[in-house]
Amino acid sequence: MLAFMKENMMLSKKKNLIFMVLFNVLLLNCGYVQARPNATASFQGTGDNSKIQSLEPPNLNLPTGDASSSHINHEDSALPSIQHDHHMIKSVQHNDEHVAHGEHASEVGGHSVPERYPVTTVDFARVELPFIIGIWILFASIAKIGFHMTPKINKILPESSLLIVVGIVIGLILYTSTKLHVQPLTPNTFFFYMLPPIILDAGYFMPNRLFFDNIGTILLMAVVGTIYNVATIGGALYFCGMTGIFGVETPLLDTFLFSSLISAVDPVAVLAVFEEIHVNEILYIVVFGESLLNDAVTVVLYHMFETYNEMGASNIQLADVVNGALSFLCVALGGVAIGVIWGFLTGLVTRFTDHVRVIEPIFVFVMAYLAYLNAEIFHWSGILAITFCGITMKNYVEANISHKSHTTIKYALKMLSSSSETIIFIFLGVATVNNQHVWNTWFVLLTIVFCSVFRVIGVIMLVAIANRFRIHKLSNVDQFVMSYGGLRGAIAFALVLLIDPNHVPLAPLFVTTTICVIYFTVFLQGITIKPLVRILNVKRAEKRKPTMNERIHERFIDHMMAGMEDICGKTGNYTIRDKFKRFDNRFIRPYLIRDLKGAEPKIIETYSKLAMKDAIDYMRRNPSTIGQMTGTESMSALFRNYTSGALGGSPSFSNFESSTRNLDMQELDYNPSRKDLTDARIHHLLAEELKPYRRHRRLSYSRHTVDDRDLSTQVNYKMRMNIHRMAQGDRKHHKRSKRMNKDGSKQNHVSFPEFQQNGSAKQLANDYINEVLNEKHEEDSRQAQSDDWEGGLTFIAKSSRENGNAQDESKRYSRDSEGEANRVTTPTAPESILPWKREDDKEDCGVIQQTEFPSWANNKEYLAYNSPSATFLGGITKPKQKNSVIGLFRRESHGESDGGGIRDKRSGSIGGQVVYEIEPTGHSSQFPVTASHRRNTRKGSLLEVSGDTTIPEEILDATKLPKRGGGQPQQYIIAKTTPKNTRSRNNGSSSQQTRGLLSHSSDSEISDDGGVKEKLMKQQKSKLHFSVGSDDEDDEEEGLRMKRS
Amino acid sequence: MGNKSSLLLREEEIAQIQEDTGFTPAQIERLYSRFTSLDRSDCGTLSREDFLRIPELAINPLCDRIVHSFFTDSNDDRVNFRQFMQVLARFRTIKPGKDNKLNSREEKLRFAFKMYDLDDDETISKDELLNILHMMVGANISQDQLLSIAERTILEADQSGIGKITFEDFCRVLERSDIEKKMSIRFLN
Repeated sequence: MLAFMKENMMLSKKKNLIFMVLFNVLLLNCGYVQARPNATASFQGTGDNSKIQSLEPPNLNLPTGDASSSHINHEDSALPSIQHDHHMIKSVQHNDEHVAHGEHASEVGGHSVPERYPVTTVDFARVELPFIIGIWILFASIAKIGFHMTPKINKILPESSLLIVVGIVIGLILYTSTKLHVQPLTPNTFFFYMLPPIILDAGYFMPNRLFFDNIGTILLMAVVGTIYNVATIGGALYFCGMTGIFGVETPLLDTFLFSSLISAVDPVAVLAVFEEIHVNEILYIVVFGESLLNDAVTVVLYHMFETYNEMGASNIQLADVVNGALSFLCVALGGVAIGVIWGFLTGLVTRFTDHVRVIEPIFVFVMAYLAYLNAEIFHWSGILAITFCGITMKNYVEANISHKSHTTIKYALKMLSSSSETIIFIFLGVATVNNQHVWNTWFVLLTIVFCSVFRVIGVIMLVAIANRFRIHKLSNVDQFVMSYGGLRGAIAFALVLLIDPNHVPLAPLFVTTTICVIYFTVFLQGITIKPLVRILNVKRAEKRKPTMNERIHERFIDHMMAGMEDICGKTGNYTIRDKFKRFDNRFIRPYLIRDLKGAEPKIIETYSKLAMKDAIDYMRRNPSTIGQMTGTESMSALFRNYTSGALGGSPSFSNFESSTRNLDMQELDYNPSRKDLTDARIHHLLAEELKPYRRHRRLSYSRHTVDDRDLSTQVNYKMRMNIHRMAQGDRKHHKRSKRMNKDGSKQNHVSFPEFQQNGSAKQLANDYINEVLNEKHEEDSRQAQSDDWEGGLTFIAKSSRENGNAQDESKRYSRDSEGEANRVTTPTAPESILPWKREDDKEDCGVIQQTEFPSWANNKEYLAYNSPSATFLGGITKPKQKNSVIGLFRRESHGESDGGGIRDKRSGSIGGQVVYEIEPTGHSSQFPVTASHRRNTRKGSLLEVSGDTTIPEEILDATKLPKRGGGQPQQYIIAKTTPKNTRSRNNGSSSQQTRGLLSHSSDSEISDDGGVKEKLMKQQKSKLHFSVGSDDEDDEEEGLRMKRS
Repeated sequence: MGNKSSLLLREEEIAQIQEDTGFTPAQIERLYSRFTSLDRSDCGTLSREDFLRIPELAINPLCDRIVHSFFTDSNDDRVNFRQFMQVLARFRTIKPGKDNKLNSREEKLRFAFKMYDLDDDETISKDELLNILHMMVGANISQDQLLSIAERTILEADQSGIGKITFEDFCRVLERSDIEKKMSIRFLN
């Protein structure tokens, strides 16, 4: 086994050779520079000196400046301070000698040598500290990469032990080559810079519920267990010391000081190891929770014994002991309180960050860090503070910040904590290599034995107690893992470094012993725990997101259990949680959360996530849905569906009753001819082929604002609504189709419409016929077997929209009808649906406009030329850019005055003509083209919104057609040019300008062509513009309403 | 109170209940004292009002359903102690190797399922789910959102394609949840 491991190590060494070499070179460089305080010092001198210095080669050792102060700087400097040990004093003296000379020399130099401007200077010392920090971080991270490239090793060894090995190697190299004792891991560095990210990460991503469900056991282990361990280990060591086995005197207080720091389970080590072994969550939370919460005990006991030590054993009075106990309460509760307060504050601050999304993550980091430091001010438990800060803030912050900020926080935290962890372990290794070790075999051995033995005994005892109160009993295997997982780590090491050798002569021995214990736990236990967990068949954790059902049913069960506990007259976990939730919902969340999403945010959140996932999955599965769908489907199928639908064979026929409620039905008297359908079909096919996907790029840059398209908190919600709408695009016409859409929306209402429109609607997004046709197509592709074209003719299309699985069609139908029936039966249904319906109302406002439709739709001319194919043939020769910017601008002003102005920048940014509210969909950029059509499609059949763009185009094309004999379709060009315009406008950084884009682009076409129809168009447009405006307003209102509610 | 109630409960009754439900005599006595304290009218049965008098329960969003679950077996809208215990027996912790007839995982799940299933048709329809959602999530959320959530939920669970959640579906979607632990109350002895 050992040989094998060695071999593996060699392998890793080889693989890491390259960066190791580089690493060493750079480290030596640093060490070299630091070893020459003179050089360094010289750079830190006064401005006068440094000027001179800049003329000199950097390592000239020109001793200028205040050498001693520079030394102090080095000692204080956070990361890589180098202990100069005995060299130190010498070099300081050396410097002192030279100071006078240096000053003298500089004076001389200053006077005698005129300064010349140097071409370049080497000034390493100026950047030395941050540079070295950077190097450490860089190489720690590279080391990490290295491990993951050596598959064999990282299966056997936990990462933590590998990092320590690397650290030792580095330490050895530095030690042998520089004769310096690098001690990078100073307690201050560790506690102030390395530990907080790790703990914050742990706290912020703490599974709250799990944590609080097990809080009793955790507290028992953390408080009682740790105290017990301190007492037993300290006592046992002391008694062993009395026998003289150690050969040195081990005073009682010193021993207890040591045992207080060696007893605590270390969160960093536990995290590092447990993250790799994936034990079940309860086991994990018990061990990890213990390691976090025992900090208070450790801090108190450590400071207590430290103080006692300074006071001397004889001076200790009872009062000191009592104070110690009181200070424990203070440290623990104070730390928690500070953390909770800062957590609430963070929630409060993020409530107002919706205008400055980009800085949201910093609040989380900074305020949590401040909580930590704040607790440290009072010597309270910073770990508790930052843990609880993370736990507290999480729920509120996540409700406030945008998804991108959330992702940023997540990754930044993970990155920070994991690099901190890496550095800590490497530094542990490096720190091992020094010449101050005091080896005492018995002391080391006994400490390790006591640590292990008393840990096991303690766990068994305490779990026995805890199990009496637990529903989920901790089994023997669990207990074994708990005791085996009692790893010691960097916190103990940092604490032992803090021991003042003046008060505690045994300090070096303690340091050595601590390192040994850490190595023992991290290496031996860390390496063996993985196979052991496998052998013992410990229940593993399964990482997964909760499904909708789990979320809802479990929440349901929670409520139920709370009720049952109430009935039994028992105050259990459920009751308490229920009470807290109620309190939270009533008194906390309203003040900390910008827009409250009801009492069960988790359900909504899960729903949003799943909806998003559905959408993404759908996209992934069908990368070019439309193309395939339209492409594979034969024309005959199209017509077959059409006819069968028309014959009313559809199972959803039953829905027709409900659809009578819809007033819009009768307004539609336009039936596309078969020829139209065919033409449209061909057009879409061609368009799909011809039109490349357009990638959306945002050209504007702003440091302080991120394009809000996907940043708004309501992302999911809005998206859902939009998609919902979209998915049900035309359902406004029908109750029935709405039903279906409902169904669909649940499935993947998110993505679907986008796709659908993608192919077919691309060019002709705005024209009515196309809308109908689109629907038809979708219908066809979707529900291949059946649909009522009758309704569809007018507007069915929607129903099938959402789900990609055509095979479910019939199923869905039945469901739909059932749902329909049920809905009617539901007491709340009619009223409840109203608000929701209102969403359609906005579309319904389109209904009103629909009346306008026939006025021009019946226009003979229009009908004659409106066929998509005709359009398509319309202006192939036309140069793309022909529609000049001038026209655009003209339009712009025009549009701005028009109702279209309500649109905000997002609408323009994506590129199409009317990108309506796509913003929230994270994936919109992936399918930019389609996005532009959503809105249109949604409204398509009604004409009301898209009307203003499309209609003119249509007509225009129609008019143009004769002129331009064939060629690319006008529309095609429009589609291409408009995005550009949009973008360029966007570039102007005043995103608001993009509003009204919709109308403009179409306008520009018109004006450019200067068609005879322009006037006519304008008239219509004015009408339509009006409608657009109102429509938008409705949308806005809708959004607002949603927000409010 | 405890003394009085235990006096009212005869040995054979305790034995009978113990037989039926698996509660220990101590637990039975404890719960009986709870039962009598809820029974304000001292008639040996509980009415819905008696339940609703528990303040925490009254504000429980699912309070109606929870209370209703006690009345499924009663004809006269009163619950006697036996029925009371029958219901609570489902929440006993599962002891391995012992007879867990009322508190098996399936029984627990069925109990929860029945709380959804108002019309006793062995399925959870969309409206039933929607009702529950409405109770839990409350008024702050738009109805359409709830509806789409309900639909999404049913779609996710529904394997038979009937647009409803059957008990089998229900068990399947919760098979990864630790129902045994979640739906257990540690009854004090």
